Amino acid sequence: MSAGTLAGAVLDRRTPPPTVVDAHAHLGPYSLFFIPEQDAAGLVRVMDRCGVARTLLSSHLAIQCDAAAGNDATAAAVAAYPDRLAGYLVVNPWQDPVAELARWAGDPRFVGIKLHPSLHEYRLTGPRYRPVWEYAAATRCPVLTHTTTGLPYDDPAMVGEIAERYPDVTILAGHSGLFRAGFDDAIEVARRHPHVLLELCGSFMHGDEISRMVGEVGAGQVVFGSDAPFIDLRMSLGRVVFARLDEADRDAVLGGTMRRVLAAAGH
Amino acid sequence: MTGPGRFRLVDADATLGRQPRVDVGDGSAAALLERMDRVGIAAALVSHSWSRLHDPAIGNALVSELVAGERRLAACWTVLPHGTGETGTPAAFVRSAREHGVRAVRAYPADHGYELAGPDAAPVFAALADAGLPLLVDAGQTSWAEVEALARRHPSLPVVVGRAGYRVLRRIAGVLDRTSNVHVGTADLSSNGGLEWLVARFGSARLVFGTGMPERDPGESVTRLLWSELPDDAVAAVGAGTLAGLTDLGGLA
Repeated sequence: MSAGTLAGAVLDRRTPPPTVVDAHAHLGPYSLFFIPEQDAAGLVRVMDRCGVARTLLSSHLAIQCDAAAGNDATAAAVAAYPDRLAGYLVVNPWQDPVAELARWAGDPRFVGIKLHPSLHEYRLTGPRYRPVWEYAAATRCPVLTHTTTGLPYDDPAMVGEIAERYPDVTILAGHSGLFRAGFDDAIEVARRHPHVLLELCGSFMHGDEISRMVGEVGAGQVVFGSDAPFIDLRMSLGRVVFARLDEADRDAVLGGTMRRVLAAAGH
Repeated sequence: MTGPGRFRLVDADATLGRQPRVDVGDGSAAALLERMDRVGIAAALVSHSWSRLHDPAIGNALVSELVAGERRLAACWTVLPHGTGETGTPAAFVRSAREHGVRAVRAYPADHGYELAGPDAAPVFAALADAGLPLLVDAGQTSWAEVEALARRHPSLPVVVGRAGYRVLRRIAGVLDRTSNVHVGTADLSSNGGLEWLVARFGSARLVFGTGMPERDPGESVTRLLWSELPDDAVAAVGAGTLAGLTDLGGLA
């Protein structure tokens, strides 16, 4: 798909062919604020509208409160839309990581693992996450971690530390550090570690930064994510659609890179 | 350049000038126009970063100078309470704004140190209402309670609150229910399905297209609106029609 096609499709309100992979999404209500559309049916409907072929998601329940019950919800959504949705297994370091990994090991509905260290107030480099890294190294499944520059839980530098320890694990640095001042740090981590990918959702992301990231580390280390339904999918997608990128790079960011990662893990 | 699409988009939330905490380039009118071309925006109401972050009067004069003769850009001035005389008396401010083709006025109560709904700024806001100039304010510059109090105090003053984020629909819903002159800008209006929900509940006449560029990526708001599930007439209204009902867009491309 060309950018001209995509940008033109936006301006003409046309629905493009379904080629996009969304590498970072969620599902369900979130207590802190009202989300008008948060179920799987609504998500798939907007995916259809915007040319998103597949979305990787974890339920809000899993990240916010109860990983086990929330992973059940994720699995149910994926079962309802097996060709469109895929799950991230949320591992909460305070809620028996070993048992949760064992419960879902080998289940095709889950294609990766999602960590949210700052929400769970436990540092990414801590030993409670060790089973996650060992599981990911064994299965080659990608690990998406939230990152927040400057926080003691998931600063991009911690992604670098994990990347040193586990060179066989593909790590998605969710939000690429979140703040614009932190994007430089995330880029530097990705530059040092080819198995670290910069994931693009977040309220402070900008097409100018996306172009810069691709220029710095290459489109093979940059993946689109929306954070829907936290953030509307179209807000996140529009930044990539109109970013100053050549077409091959845009195609990679919007799906090619993530397809390669999933294929390497057998998905 | 992407070129214009089927819908006329007029951005009520754009800024010229450099920014101190993010690289937006030189902040020139030419750079802004290039961004507008890239995402298919026809025209914009523009303020200047100096009006917010240096001196409102100097920034206002500068933005008028920078957009002079440019059919796609119109100035948006920034106002202060008249007590210190920095932006003149209410009557003088409004008269000068009109003479300079200003289409809307911005307030930055948090940055500039006053209360949006307090008595200090009330006279100038009353003058804006009388002159038919809408007031634009970022959500982060005030509280929704202040917005509601302002709207009640000046029921004929259109107030457009932009950059609301994704966590505020519980507050917005109540304020829009209880007022008729509060509008929501689409810059960073990021709640999932929020645009459709607001239009369904309050009508497209309560939504005003804005991007927040260049700090925010204009591709966000453009894609959000044009790939929305709204019918074309509602998209046209949000894209330009609502703003045209709030201020004179005559002469703008």
